[in-house]
Amino acid sequence: MEESLNRHSKISAADLERLSKEAKGEATPSSARIVWNEFKADKPAMVALVIIVAFILFVMIAALFIDTPKMMETDIMNYNAAPGTNGFILGADTGGRPIFQQLIVGARNSIGIAMGLTVISSTFGICWGLISGYFNGLIDWGMQRVYDFMMMLPMTMMIIVLVTIIKNYNAITLTLIFSVFYWEGTSRLIRSRTLSESEKDYVAAAKTSGTGNFKIIFSEIMPNISSLLIVDTTLSFAENIGVETGLSYLGFGLPMHTPSLGTLIANANDPNNITQYWWTWLPAALLIIILCLSISYVGQVVRRSADASQRQGAAD
Amino acid sequence: MSLVEIKNLKVHYPIRSGFFNRITDSVNAVDGISFNIEAGETYGLVGESGSGKSTTGKSVVGLEKVTSGSIMYKGKDITKKANRKSLDYNHDVQMIFQDSLSSLNPRKRIEDIIAEPLRNFEHLDKDSEKLRVLQLLDIVGLDADALYKYPHQFSGGQRQRIGVARAVATNPKLIIADEPVSALDLSVQAQVLNFMKKIQREFNISYLFISHDLGVVRHMCNNIAIMNNGRLVEIGTRDDIYNHPMHIYTKRLLAAIPETNVSQRAEHRAQRLAVEEVYREQQDKYYDKDGLAYPLVQITPTHSVALPEALAEQLKHEGEVQA
Repeated sequence: MEESLNRHSKISAADLERLSKEAKGEATPSSARIVWNEFKADKPAMVALVIIVAFILFVMIAALFIDTPKMMETDIMNYNAAPGTNGFILGADTGGRPIFQQLIVGARNSIGIAMGLTVISSTFGICWGLISGYFNGLIDWGMQRVYDFMMMLPMTMMIIVLVTIIKNYNAITLTLIFSVFYWEGTSRLIRSRTLSESEKDYVAAAKTSGTGNFKIIFSEIMPNISSLLIVDTTLSFAENIGVETGLSYLGFGLPMHTPSLGTLIANANDPNNITQYWWTWLPAALLIIILCLSISYVGQVVRRSADASQRQGAAD
Repeated sequence: MSLVEIKNLKVHYPIRSGFFNRITDSVNAVDGISFNIEAGETYGLVGESGSGKSTTGKSVVGLEKVTSGSIMYKGKDITKKANRKSLDYNHDVQMIFQDSLSSLNPRKRIEDIIAEPLRNFEHLDKDSEKLRVLQLLDIVGLDADALYKYPHQFSGGQRQRIGVARAVATNPKLIIADEPVSALDLSVQAQVLNFMKKIQREFNISYLFISHDLGVVRHMCNNIAIMNNGRLVEIGTRDDIYNHPMHIYTKRLLAAIPETNVSQRAEHRAQRLAVEEVYREQQDKYYDKDGLAYPLVQITPTHSVALPEALAEQLKHEGEVQA
C-alpha cells in the first residue's frame, strides 16, 4: 500500500511538516475556546458562572477555618439573636448557633453531597443507558428489567428506612445511599438516544473499520450525545442539591449535629421562625434558589456550545 | 477462483406478534441469491428500493446477520464472526455509504475519521499515519487543510470523497459501494465516480456497486445483477443486460432511464407505455404464484435469467433466430 500510495500521490514524507502546519492554521477552534466564546456572548450566564465558582471556592475554603463541633454547641444566652448583634453577622438560631457559619459549613456539605451524588449516579446511569441501548436485544432486555425493578421501589421510603437502620452514617454513606436510587432517570434517557444513535451509518462505518464495541460506545456514540449528557448532568446537579435538602428538611438527611442547607431550611418548620426570626431560614432558601438558577444558566451555555446550530458566540 | 463467492444467501427478518410475541412470519429481504465477484472488476447490483440490494451489501461487509447461505472469501465462510476476525476481513473489505453526512462521525476530525481503519489494522507510528492520511486526501482531490476540520464543514461531494478515502485507507481488495452517489447532484456524481474509477485502476480494487441508477451502473460496471423482491431476476455482462434484456423487469427498468433528447419525447413516452403494458399483461408468466422470481436459468455462459424452463427455451430460441 505504501509504495502504491507514494507512486500515486505527490505528497511525500518531506512535505509532512509544512502540510500539518498549514492544516493547523485552518483548524477549527478547540472546544474550550468555543465554550468560552459562548460565555462571552451571554452575560447572565457569565455572571452565573462567576457566582458559582466564587461561591464554591469561598465555601470550600472558609469551611476549613470553622470549628464545626464548637460552632454547634448550644448557647442559651444568644437565643435567636438578631443579625448584627453580639457579632452574629446573620444572627443565631434557637440554639444560639451562628447562622452565617452554619450556612458556610452547610453549603459545603450540601454541595459536596450533590456533587458526589451527581458524579456517581450520572456516571453509572450514562454507562447503563449506553450499554443497554447499544447492544440491544437480550442484553437490553435484561438491563431494562433491572431498571424496572429499581423504579418500582418506593425511593423516599427506602432511603428513610436505610438511613434509620444504618447506625453511624455520615455525608459519604448518605451519598452512596442516594446514588443507589438516582441513576434510573438518566439511564433511560440515555438509552433512548443511544438506540437511535447506534442505527446511524457512522457506527456501521466504525464497525467495518474494525473498532471494538466499547470503543464505539464511549468514543463514537458518547461524544455525539454529549449535549444531552451535559444538560442532564447539570439539571440533575441542581436537582440533587434539592434531594439532600429535602430529606434533611424532613429530618432524615444528615444527622442533627452536621449543618446543611436542609437543616437550616428545616428551621422554617416552626411558625415562630417564619413570622419573627426570618434570618434562621431565609438565607439558606435564597442561596439554594440562586445556586440552582446559576447552574441551569451555565448548563444552557455548555449545551449551546456543544451544538453548532444553537451557538450565539462569535466564531472567533 | 473468484474473490468473493456468494452462495444461496438468505437474510430473513422475523415478524413477531401475538400475546407471547412469537415469530409468526418473516420478511425475506434477501431470498437465496448467488453470484461471484472477480478481482479488479466492478459488479453492479441493481434494483428498486426495498429489493434487498443494500441488505446484500451489508451482509457481504459483515454488518448484517445472515439467516443462511455462505459468503466465501479466501476459502472461508465469512458469515461467521470468528472467520471474519481470523482473516482480518474488514482490512480487505470496506464500505462506502450512501449518506455521506451520517456515515462520518460529526464529532471527529477528518484526520481521525480517515485514520480510524489504519489505527485498527495497521498500527503505524504518528508521523507515517499522518502522511498516509495526507496522501489519501490528495488522491481524492482534497487539500491538507481538511485535516483538522469537521465533516459539516464540507460539501456533499467532498464528504463522499472523504468516505472514499476512508474506505481505501487500508488498501482493501473489495469495496461495497452502497448507492455512493445517489444523494449527490449530477456534476458531483460524475466527479465522485471518476475518483472511484481512478482509484480502482491504481490500486486494483473490486467494487460491489449497489445502485438503482442504470445510467451510472452502465458507466461503472462490467457485470450486473438485477434484483427484485429479494431474488435475482437477471445476471449478465453489461452488453447482456443493456442490449439483450430477457426478463420483463429488466426491460421495465431500462425503459425507465430518462432520455434527454427532447425532440423524441413522444416516441420515448410511447415506448415506455408499451413496455408497461407488456409488463402488466405478462406478469404472471415471469413470476411464480407468490409473485416471486423463478430460479435462474442459464441462457449463454455469461447470461442467466429467472424464468420458467419452457419460457426460457422459447426466448432463447427467439434470440437465436434474431441473431
